[in-house]
Amino acid sequence: MEYIQGIAILIGINLIAVLGLSILTGFTGLFSFGHGGFMAIGAYISAIVTARLHLPFALAIVAGAASAGLVSIFIGRLTLKLKGDYFCIATMGFGEAVRVILNNIDYVGGARGWESLPQLTSIWVVLGLDIAAVIVAWNLINSRHGRNMVAVREEELAAQMAGIDVYGHKMIALVVSAAMAGIAGALMANYIQFIRPTMFNMAKSTDLTIMVIFGGLGSISGSIVGTFLLVSLPELFRNFAQWRLVIYGLAVVVIMVGRPKGVMGGFELTPSGVRRSMAARRARLALEAEARALEREGAA
Amino acid sequence: MNQFLQQLVNGLSIGSIYALMAVGYSLVYSIMNFSNFAHGSVIMLGAYFGFFALTLAGLPFALAFFVAACCAAGVAVLLERLAYKPLRDRHAPFLYFIITAMGASIFIDNSVIATIGPTPKTFPSELLPSFLQSGAIRIGHVDVGRIDLAMFAITVVCLVALVLFIDFTRLGKAIQATAYNMKASALMGINPGFVIILVFAIGGALAGVAGVLYGMKYQVFPQMSAITLKSFIAAVFGGLGSLPGAMLGSLLLALIETFVSGYLSTQYRDLFSFIILIAMLVIRPSGIMGKTAEDKA
Amino acid sequence: MRAMTIGLLVAALALVGCAGAQKSNTIKIGWFGPETGDSALWGQAELNTVQMMAADYNAQGGIDIGGKKYQLQIVPYDDKGDSTEAVNVAKRLVSQDKVVAVVGAQGSGEAIPVAPIMDEAKVPLVASTATNPKVTVTESGQVHPYVFRACFTDPYQGKVAAYFAYQRLNKRNAAILMTIDDPYSTGLSQYFKESFEQLGGKVVAEVSYTSGEKDFRAPLTKIKAAKPDIIFIPAYYNDVALAAKQARDLGINQMLLGGDGWPSDNLISLAGKALEGCMFINHLDFDGAEAQPMRDEYKAKYGKNAELNSYMVHDALMMVIDAMERAKAFDGPSIQKALETTDIQGITGHIKIGPEHNPVGKDAWLIKIVGPDMKFQEKFSAAS
Repeated sequence: MEYIQGIAILIGINLIAVLGLSILTGFTGLFSFGHGGFMAIGAYISAIVTARLHLPFALAIVAGAASAGLVSIFIGRLTLKLKGDYFCIATMGFGEAVRVILNNIDYVGGARGWESLPQLTSIWVVLGLDIAAVIVAWNLINSRHGRNMVAVREEELAAQMAGIDVYGHKMIALVVSAAMAGIAGALMANYIQFIRPTMFNMAKSTDLTIMVIFGGLGSISGSIVGTFLLVSLPELFRNFAQWRLVIYGLAVVVIMVGRPKGVMGGFELTPSGVRRSMAARRARLALEAEARALEREGAA
Repeated sequence: MNQFLQQLVNGLSIGSIYALMAVGYSLVYSIMNFSNFAHGSVIMLGAYFGFFALTLAGLPFALAFFVAACCAAGVAVLLERLAYKPLRDRHAPFLYFIITAMGASIFIDNSVIATIGPTPKTFPSELLPSFLQSGAIRIGHVDVGRIDLAMFAITVVCLVALVLFIDFTRLGKAIQATAYNMKASALMGINPGFVIILVFAIGGALAGVAGVLYGMKYQVFPQMSAITLKSFIAAVFGGLGSLPGAMLGSLLLALIETFVSGYLSTQYRDLFSFIILIAMLVIRPSGIMGKTAEDKA
Repeated sequence: MRAMTIGLLVAALALVGCAGAQKSNTIKIGWFGPETGDSALWGQAELNTVQMMAADYNAQGGIDIGGKKYQLQIVPYDDKGDSTEAVNVAKRLVSQDKVVAVVGAQGSGEAIPVAPIMDEAKVPLVASTATNPKVTVTESGQVHPYVFRACFTDPYQGKVAAYFAYQRLNKRNAAILMTIDDPYSTGLSQYFKESFEQLGGKVVAEVSYTSGEKDFRAPLTKIKAAKPDIIFIPAYYNDVALAAKQARDLGINQMLLGGDGWPSDNLISLAGKALEGCMFINHLDFDGAEAQPMRDEYKAKYGKNAELNSYMVHDALMMVIDAMERAKAFDGPSIQKALETTDIQGITGHIKIGPEHNPVGKDAWLIKIVGPDMKFQEKFSAAS
């Protein structure tokens, strides 16, 4: 039971980071290779607050989120005005830079890592924060800001001409995603009770992105499903561990080429979402029927 | 002074490898306007092709080299046809290309790990021609590895050949035209599909050569695509899309890295590279020799 | 809809995985290590060995605990050489599979975070080659009650290496090349330096590289300029082979000295002639009489040579079985108590567990590379 709970906690922790990344990548269209770095910031700040300063966990989480958010503002100012490619490479650089810097700070254990951190992450804390995260993400996406972000993703130039503050919205997406990654990092640190810079390297960043893609770009429930699947499946199929990444890589390519909307197909698991997809389906069937009818008429 | 010269030689030698890797990447970027993050995996495959051509198939060295380059070119073209073309046809947002490239890279890298295995392999020195064997040549007070000299020479030959091809042949000019404006050159009768395949093939071949050279100098292992991160940085540094820029950026980056390692501290070497990258992106995103500022968002 | 069915399936499978009752005459011992990843070579060697040993014991009827015979079952997991994964599988082993003891944890990076978990679950862990002191003793000096190891520790290894360099090889100026982000490497190099300087030697250069690096020329050039008479490289065989080749290419012809990260079947084939005449510290002599029976059996069964980790995990498992036999019980606390008084002769030497749960005064062997062989030079014993 404890083991199942452990998996649930891991799913919950990753979910927060994935939701944040979904806002950035799925909805605003910015691809980041460096969110492991934001998680690292959250984790290490939380470790310092709980293990060295002996302050409450809640404070540690807030501090972690705030630190990650602040750093993201700094990074954002430098890189958000750049073209997509450059932004990617810059985030890559950022993620690696965080790792290298942490490797060299002995106060937090350096490359050796920092063990015996207090165990403060319970299933309830994770669940509570997950619910909060989903609510925040949902509200953001369905607000004016959210719709603007999607506009930026779809056609940036047009969005800019329509008067949308492209830079501002990108920044919001970046900061929110960074803060959420920071929270996830803090939870992770006080769950595994051990942190090491390599835990937050590019592989972690790509793992998170894959979870967003699997669920489908632009779908919150997709991100939830994606995270759930990609954290629990490896546990169940341990024998195929070597092939896990092979399958993931192939799946990503197949999804992007064939069905970029991922598992959820771009629709949300909500009453209105279901209604919308039903309506779309009906409309499409009607169109097809009409087309067939016209064809027959034409042939006759 | 000797140490300085020695480090200079070290830097140039590493730089020539980065240059080969960066040029292929930059070439594809100049046409397609997107970063082919799977380039590193092609480099890695090139190294493996060369290794197996030499050891398993027992081909003579020069032929093995050639085979590696061709196979790598083939993989690159295959990647283009299967993964990128469908996205292009659909006018998919640029984000999809990057994600697909990343997915392809993960797929290729881990397929090698799962099948051939993660243990590094070395090119057996008996099978290499004598000018590529281990050992140093003393020039003044500086020791230059024999293999480094040979590699530097091969790199220069490849790059010169490439520049000659691009600047002086009809196909090369066709590539330049397509890079400048795909639609317009299509109107002039240049088949863009053909040019794209050609570019990927050349980029792949260069990657293959880079892979074999890297494998010979160090080792052949599946995580090689991580090393190419440096060449991406070098290409951005020198100016994405510019071939001379990629070469210059690579040499400069390698020299800076080597001197930082040698005189300051090896710990912070990578950090320096990233800081330079960020600084470059902020101050002059088009790089040292890059295309115009219209590339910015 | 699809997603929901997937979710239900997953949940169902998970619940099924929850089961796992223990048959009454089987004893489950857990193992975790890197079956995949960079250290896969060692992880697989360990796994092969423990499975081979279990098969041997079971073929003879099992192990005898307090008069009754029990079959041995190994429950293995891949930690991928990653600390988070190690924590994950450790939790799985203690709470899901309910093993009575765990062996393996070959990397200090994986063993250190797992230690508190073993303490809390009261399931003993005997590490095979994790040499960092923090595996058994926390930063504040407390001993992890449920963690032991079968190998010597890095402070000891560093001392032995310094002793060999200074007293036996008469070197006075040493240079060190280490992996900056690997606690094994930095720890070992620190202890070597302390001991070497205590003996009267001088460390003329201390340079490092980050793991994953393939080009060592920049740090090596610094070493060359410092003109040492011996170069200590406390790293893993892969990096060592590359560094050695590049050093020779740079005209650095001094002897290289190493630690227990060197011994591997691949070391010499990767390095070619670059390591000729160089030496390193090992936990045993691969060609020695003690190792032969297992070496032959392993080769016959698996077709390749046993690695260092094979012998170490063999001794780790032996320690567990010996403890169970002496305690005449196989619950965690009983095994733990018996482990504290371990005093056996393993393949890798005399193992007597001391107050910090480490073997005290364990033998260290100095090995020299001659052609394609690793030849035993000298043995170092006792806690001096």
